[in-house]
Amino acid sequence: MSRIRLSRKDKKMFLARDPKIADTMSSLVSHYQLPKATAMYKEIDHVVALARKFNDEVVKPAYKEIDLEVSKNNDYLCWDFIKKANEWGLYTLFLPKMFGGGGINMIAMYPFVEEIASVCVGLSNVIGVHYLGVATLSASWNVRLINKIFREVKKGERSGNPCLISLAITEPEAGTDVEETLLVDRARLGTFAKKVEGGYVVNGRKIFISNGHVSTWHMLICYSDKKNPSENTVMLAVKNGTRGFSFGHHEKKMGQKSCVASELIFEDCFIPDEYICIDSDDVPKNASKTRVEVIQQVIDYVVSSTRAGVAAFAVGAARGAYETALEYARTKKVGGSLLINHQWAQSMLSEMYKNVSMGRAGYMESAYANALHGMIKSLYKPYLFYVNRWLPRWYFTMISPLLGLKAVTRLFRNINFYWYPKESAQVSSGWASLVKFACTDLGIENSQMAVELMGIDGCRHDIGSEKFLRDAKLLQIYEGTNQLNRMNLFKELVGRDMPEVQIF
Amino acid sequence: MNMKSSANSISEELQAFSDLARDFAARELVQQREENDRYPFGELFTQSIKNAGVVGFFGANLPAEYGGVGMVASALAPVLENLSMADASMACIVFTNAAAIEIINQAARETDCAKIYRFIGGPDAKPVAFHSFTCLEEIDMPRADAKGIISGRLNFIALAEFARYAVIPAENPDGAISYYLVDLNDGGVAKTGPVYSLGLHACPAADLSFNKVPGTLIGNPGHGEIYFKAMQSHLSIGAAAISLGIMKGSFIEAFEYTKERFQGGRQIINWSEVRMLLANMAIEAQVGESCLASACRGNESGDNGWEYSARAAAIHIGELACRATVDGVQLLGGNGYMKDYGQEKRMRDAKQVQCLLGMAPVRKIDYIGRIIDESE
Repeated sequence: MSRIRLSRKDKKMFLARDPKIADTMSSLVSHYQLPKATAMYKEIDHVVALARKFNDEVVKPAYKEIDLEVSKNNDYLCWDFIKKANEWGLYTLFLPKMFGGGGINMIAMYPFVEEIASVCVGLSNVIGVHYLGVATLSASWNVRLINKIFREVKKGERSGNPCLISLAITEPEAGTDVEETLLVDRARLGTFAKKVEGGYVVNGRKIFISNGHVSTWHMLICYSDKKNPSENTVMLAVKNGTRGFSFGHHEKKMGQKSCVASELIFEDCFIPDEYICIDSDDVPKNASKTRVEVIQQVIDYVVSSTRAGVAAFAVGAARGAYETALEYARTKKVGGSLLINHQWAQSMLSEMYKNVSMGRAGYMESAYANALHGMIKSLYKPYLFYVNRWLPRWYFTMISPLLGLKAVTRLFRNINFYWYPKESAQVSSGWASLVKFACTDLGIENSQMAVELMGIDGCRHDIGSEKFLRDAKLLQIYEGTNQLNRMNLFKELVGRDMPEVQIF
Repeated sequence: MNMKSSANSISEELQAFSDLARDFAARELVQQREENDRYPFGELFTQSIKNAGVVGFFGANLPAEYGGVGMVASALAPVLENLSMADASMACIVFTNAAAIEIINQAARETDCAKIYRFIGGPDAKPVAFHSFTCLEEIDMPRADAKGIISGRLNFIALAEFARYAVIPAENPDGAISYYLVDLNDGGVAKTGPVYSLGLHACPAADLSFNKVPGTLIGNPGHGEIYFKAMQSHLSIGAAAISLGIMKGSFIEAFEYTKERFQGGRQIINWSEVRMLLANMAIEAQVGESCLASACRGNESGDNGWEYSARAAAIHIGELACRATVDGVQLLGGNGYMKDYGQEKRMRDAKQVQCLLGMAPVRKIDYIGRIIDESE
């Protein structure tokens, strides 16, 4: 320690200045706030090894062929892969044990999806986007429905009939709008739910729904009042086979072809009360937060978790492009010497390695921010973490009926909506946006550099580099365009304490 | 900003040929772009390729005495730019053929190439295949014996799928490189393709294997590198024009879309963040246009050192196009990523076009190498 003495008051004053430790070093804070590091690490190294084995045995032999199949026939769906992933337990791996899942901590999901994406971003998304649906349902904190649907996913795993969950939010005329309550009231919305006795009747269309055609459950975001949608947002759980619900066309995408982007059509589709995940009636009039604040909280919970996931996909793409270029450079001769021995090529490869490493450090920081402040922070309370880890599965099955009680949902909503501090949302949401646009930009940069380094060979489908560029581009667009995410970072962290600031 | 071709800034005399290219693009390419891009999983646009030959695009730099137009590279630029604004695949077909012919044109300065021209010329001539996406430094070269019998392999030869002839390099017994004209119908030629690639699907390429295939020597033996470097300078103007055309096409599409699309209750063109992206694209297109116009003027007037302008333009505009087309997709959001719009194709095409005439970093190293050599 230096000889300069800091009074407690001085220390507090200096640490109150930006950048605050709590804003910028969640990974450091987690050392003393999260459960024992070795327990979490063991789960992370387990899933990374599992992902590598899955890559060797399932992804690598199939991914180029699937990409070609969809290029030939846009309606092709990669059911063989989905069934394999289901067989390997990948759709329940990160579901909490109390809902029948594998119980692996969510921090581990990010390096897991990076691994799969380092071979194929599209197939990584076929797994990862299911967890987008999982996150959406979870963010409603409707514990009864969470328990019901997650257990169906587990049942699907046992029976060999995959039961995936999608999120249906984007509409033909509204994309960026629907992820931000400040914009949604001005959006050109087209999917509305009319309250009727016993439920809602939905009409409208959703587009660009990843995994739509291959999912069993769809978390539908729609609106019960055209005039004031931000206060009247409704989240419904729609199951395949529901009357009035059908699938439309498959989008013709540049990349990530293995992950179908679907049109979902709702025509007088009746959804009973039991499948309302959350609506405005769930927010008590005397609650400490308004309906709009609660809906924004739900959206923030989802995107804080999934934007970090998109960042991990992007680091996977950046890494796949780098690794492909590195292997190529070791055997390709240019001007009589190996490409890898040209200093300019070494410099490019170092740049690519740097991008991967910085990106990974970034998304892990966001993962820690989520663990400390996000939707699943309660699962990281040491007592809950170890309960989830050590109690046998039969115990959770035994107490499962209790999770259907309204009081349980009320308790979780109190904890996660009404007692949730605003500052926490700022850190997790701000960081998720930061890494989303930073890592996805790096993903494009690395995949472009790989093609440059490999020349026309980098453009060949059979060599595998060009696909990273096609796949990576979508990452800059979905989960909120990078432009929206820059605005969100500004709103949450950059301009938060500035009264003169206006957003949108 | 002039979103027509750069021809206006080069020479009024070229306007007719430039207009021809624009009309051809509107008539033959724009409506069918998505369908044509499905190749090899859809049909190749053979009739459009044939029609491009009929209007003279494949004879642009072929000497007039062999049925061509005898244009210099700068005159070809507006044609390529206009075609590329609509569909860069057709532009690259014209480019590849022009690059092959330029090798012969360079050889014809030293030797009589009448026989070669007669092979590839004529009213029904098909475009000539060429390694337009690679430079000599990166090619694993086939070998030719003293009699011009060629064996070995060459990857990614553009147009080899349907061309009758190819202009290819081969290593002679003394290690020097010569160019040969080979008949792709020869029994010793095996094609593997079309090679499915990132972009330019309707400008197909194939990998070729040669098993004792007779080649007709082009120009002097061992002068392959000289011819290639000279061709590279001339066709750099063409590569720059194709990149510029893609960039302009992307800007126009994004500009129109952002006027139509609403988010947050207003046209997205009225969000200043969107305007900033559009501004960057417009500035890059303008800078690209100036670079190309300067290179074209130098080429037309034969200024000392015009090759530097041409090569720098190809490298720089190629980079700009790769960056701008990524934003071009972004401005259309999810729609930009889908094949219903032209933006995703432009992004893919721009990246592959950057490989024209060889790896971009190798061309950069070569560029500074020339400057260093001259300074010594």
